[in-house]
Amino acid sequence: MAELADISNEFIRQEIDEFIERADERARIVSLFSRSSPAMQAIAAALIDGDNELVDELTGSALAAGTEALEVMDYGLIAGMAIVGVKFRQNFIFVPEVLACARAMKAGMKHIDPILSASGIEPLGRVVMGTVKGDLHDIGKNLCIMMLRGAGFEVIDLGVDTSPDAFIDAVEQHKAHLIGMSALLTTTMPNMGKTIDAFIDADLRDDVKIMVGGAPVTQEFADDMGADGYGKDALACVALAKKLLGVESRT
Amino acid sequence: MKIDDGDFVIIGENIHTTRMVLRTGKLVEIAPDGQEAVRYTSARGETRFLPIPEAFKRTQDYDEGRIKHVKIAIHDAMAGGSEGREYLLALVGRQSAAGADFLDLNVDEVSLRPAEQIDAMRWLVETIQSMTDIPVSIDSSNLETIVAGLDAARGRALLNSASLERIGALDIAASRGIPVVVTAAGEKGMPQNDIERVGYASRMVDAALERGIAKSDLYVDPLVFPISVDSQFGIHCFDAIRTLRAKYGPEIHITGGLSNVSFGLPSRRVINDVFINLAVSAGADSGIVDPVATDIRRVFSLDKQARPYQLAEDMLLGRDRNCKNFLRAYRKGELAAV
Repeated sequence: MAELADISNEFIRQEIDEFIERADERARIVSLFSRSSPAMQAIAAALIDGDNELVDELTGSALAAGTEALEVMDYGLIAGMAIVGVKFRQNFIFVPEVLACARAMKAGMKHIDPILSASGIEPLGRVVMGTVKGDLHDIGKNLCIMMLRGAGFEVIDLGVDTSPDAFIDAVEQHKAHLIGMSALLTTTMPNMGKTIDAFIDADLRDDVKIMVGGAPVTQEFADDMGADGYGKDALACVALAKKLLGVESRT
Repeated sequence: MKIDDGDFVIIGENIHTTRMVLRTGKLVEIAPDGQEAVRYTSARGETRFLPIPEAFKRTQDYDEGRIKHVKIAIHDAMAGGSEGREYLLALVGRQSAAGADFLDLNVDEVSLRPAEQIDAMRWLVETIQSMTDIPVSIDSSNLETIVAGLDAARGRALLNSASLERIGALDIAASRGIPVVVTAAGEKGMPQNDIERVGYASRMVDAALERGIAKSDLYVDPLVFPISVDSQFGIHCFDAIRTLRAKYGPEIHITGGLSNVSFGLPSRRVINDVFINLAVSAGADSGIVDPVATDIRRVFSLDKQARPYQLAEDMLLGRDRNCKNFLRAYRKGELAAV
């Protein structure tokens, strides 16, 4: 079994030692980093530090040195984000810091995305996200999108005030596997149900999984209107997306 | 309420079905009768317990440790329960003592069925008015619920709120001759900066003035967004307040849901407190706040040289990227008291 001492990067060792408390998570993360190269650990460390310029630079040079794009993504960027996610859940870090890490992730993915799409490598899953019809709130939805991208999903963002037809069109156009709907008002929450009904009417309900979230939304409400799942925050959203699509990270 | 250099209109945001206490917090305990309950001090000063009903214990809110106490009290009181009514009376009493100028009532989460929401609003307005003479503020994202609340209100209730996507609410306020909150939300989305805030809000103010609503009956909400998401969000809001104040003069009210600014951060109180001070310096004269949680007199008498104050001020004025200094101070335990 892998041990902390097997990880060469001191910063990563400290992060795991200080912040990853749950035994199962610790075992998984230690095993992951013990298999990753020093260059990948350095990328993960820069990402955890929220240093987008360094992630940009290190990702570029790793690829130039011949490291596979998939390896950089899984063992550098996503591995770093796994630690960030746990720190956020445990209130060791807060929204501004997670956003900085997400921006660093984005700086790295800028190098990776074109290579992956050119070589036909599929993302973890393709997710269409939007705030429902009549609702203009998007801060929570945008946090979810950043975390989903950070976990390796491709996300199509439909913005706010999204009609059922716009969700349907986007799913068809992008061959999405999952949609995520957000609502912040009790008056617009029923539009989640209407969107689900529209998918049923269009005979597409079986082709996609549907997840919902937003301050007034509850598990009961999600069940009631026939959604496949509910997530209470951006982190739960990522866990739910993985569960609904039956995917785990490749590592 | 009166403060040193003028009035600050408190729209007391407390009687809301969204309000919650934590199950693990100080207020939730086992009552003498063995039931899990929310402990409170009644209007007469006795310690009492609002029991958490069995039905509520089967909800996800409860599983995740959130007790929606106002929702529980309203359900209980509507069913004729005396404890729920006592609880509401206590809420009214505490807000009254804290200087609330309006009591904002929101029942959006009492039920998802519009008809039940409407019934609950009507009932709540009548009930609260039987307890106090403080005017009510009728708050809902559903216009029919607002109308039902206004119909039940006596005196001049506040309509909360009208915006470009719901401009018809202005006609309701104009025909009833009542004050109204107008927000800076656009038809197609939330404002992205101070210019859009001023643009959207101005269109609402102008539309209200055209309908004969007096400036002194207008409460402009420029919309407060979390500083955790963008370090410029504070500046957007303060700049919009300054511009709106200069444009419309001293009579119009400028308000806002002020606690939103601290979402996603620890030590929320100091952030909220400093934000209120900065908003008032920019020209705001009102806030949609819980005056029990946020004692306005204390907020205005804070030591502005204290380190926590300065850290929050820097952060809110866009001088602390990613809230780095503020969070560092939090971790070192330097934000404990202001």
